[in-house]
Amino acid sequence: MHFDESTILAITRPKDTLWTYYIFVAIGGLIAFPILLPYLYFRYHTMRYRFDDEGISMSWGVLFHHEIILNYSRIQDIHLRSNVLERWLGLARVEVQTASAGAGAEMTIEGLDNAEQVRDFLYSRMRGAAAETHKAPVTGLDATLHAVAQELHAIRKLIEEGKR
Amino acid sequence: MYSFMKRILLQTLRVPNDPEPPAGSPDSIRVFRAGPRLYYWNLFHWAFLQLFAVMGLFGTFAMVAKVADHATSLVGTMLHVGELLGVAGFLAQLPFTFWKQKLDYEMRWYIVTDRSLRIRSGLWSVQEITMTFANIQKVQMARGPLQKLLGLATVEVSSAGGGAGSKENGKPQGADRHAARFEGVANAAEIRDLILERLRRYRDAGLGDTPHEAGPSAAEDLLAAAKALGIAYRR
Repeated sequence: MHFDESTILAITRPKDTLWTYYIFVAIGGLIAFPILLPYLYFRYHTMRYRFDDEGISMSWGVLFHHEIILNYSRIQDIHLRSNVLERWLGLARVEVQTASAGAGAEMTIEGLDNAEQVRDFLYSRMRGAAAETHKAPVTGLDATLHAVAQELHAIRKLIEEGKR
Repeated sequence: MYSFMKRILLQTLRVPNDPEPPAGSPDSIRVFRAGPRLYYWNLFHWAFLQLFAVMGLFGTFAMVAKVADHATSLVGTMLHVGELLGVAGFLAQLPFTFWKQKLDYEMRWYIVTDRSLRIRSGLWSVQEITMTFANIQKVQMARGPLQKLLGLATVEVSSAGGGAGSKENGKPQGADRHAARFEGVANAAEIRDLILERLRRYRDAGLGDTPHEAGPSAAEDLLAAAKALGIAYRR
């Protein structure tokens, strides 16, 4: 587990190379190219990430605006995926799953050049992993209560003596 | 020869280094690899596909032979050139796809720690799946007749979710993102038992409830209150 929390919390945009990747994806779409390219252009330029203390949010789209908000504590699994093209461009995707239904990923954080660090960061905050940081067992509770009880006992004794 | 090709291929495809183990205590890390016979299984699969390709080629030959009789000489030559290209392409892919089978078998890691598991596979598209035992809902083991012959099986671990259409008769259709598969392992029973044993530590439902946290913090508050009380009376 090695990641710099401040650099991850500062991520707001995918890397520039994601746009290069999208161009290749559009070319790969062959006849769908004229539709895919503008779609991916707007997707890339409107894509925003926000990592805060509670969770991640991601938004994109102009005409059809999407926004996904995930809470760290609800994350179930985190997958890391990359195809050859992405690796050549130094990119990878982090796919985040929650317990909601659906075979696809709930959130795909695209265009990251430090995907592994982001994965480790999310992993350190998700449930199951985060819940492992047990608090130190409480010691001395019984002794303290005992002392309090003794004090009360002494006070009662004094009061009772004063009444006589 | 093979190791040289492998190095070149891994470099060109920019396949990342061996995966790092997921969270968990270091001495609990167990790394499983696919059973050696998965390679044979892969080869069988490959041979089957190649057989289909050969059949397809012969099918086109027969069609071209019929059409070429009625076509002009130019179209006929073009068809024959197409035939030759098809055969050349088929022959060219043979060594690469053959090598890929072994690489696919070698590039598989199944890592289990006391808290989580990580599965890394793939060459063209590399995927690393990480799951914590706290979230695992189901463990299942499956083997087909041919896998049984080769002594292989697949252990599948799934978390909550994975909606409609992703599964049919217990078999995942396409990539189910809520499941991690220990594909083609020789010691499936051992892996299953290990996972089940480590799962036993988590008694909650695995759906977002974190019961550990409530206990200690409440006790700490109580302790603080009791201490304050004690100090107040001693004055």
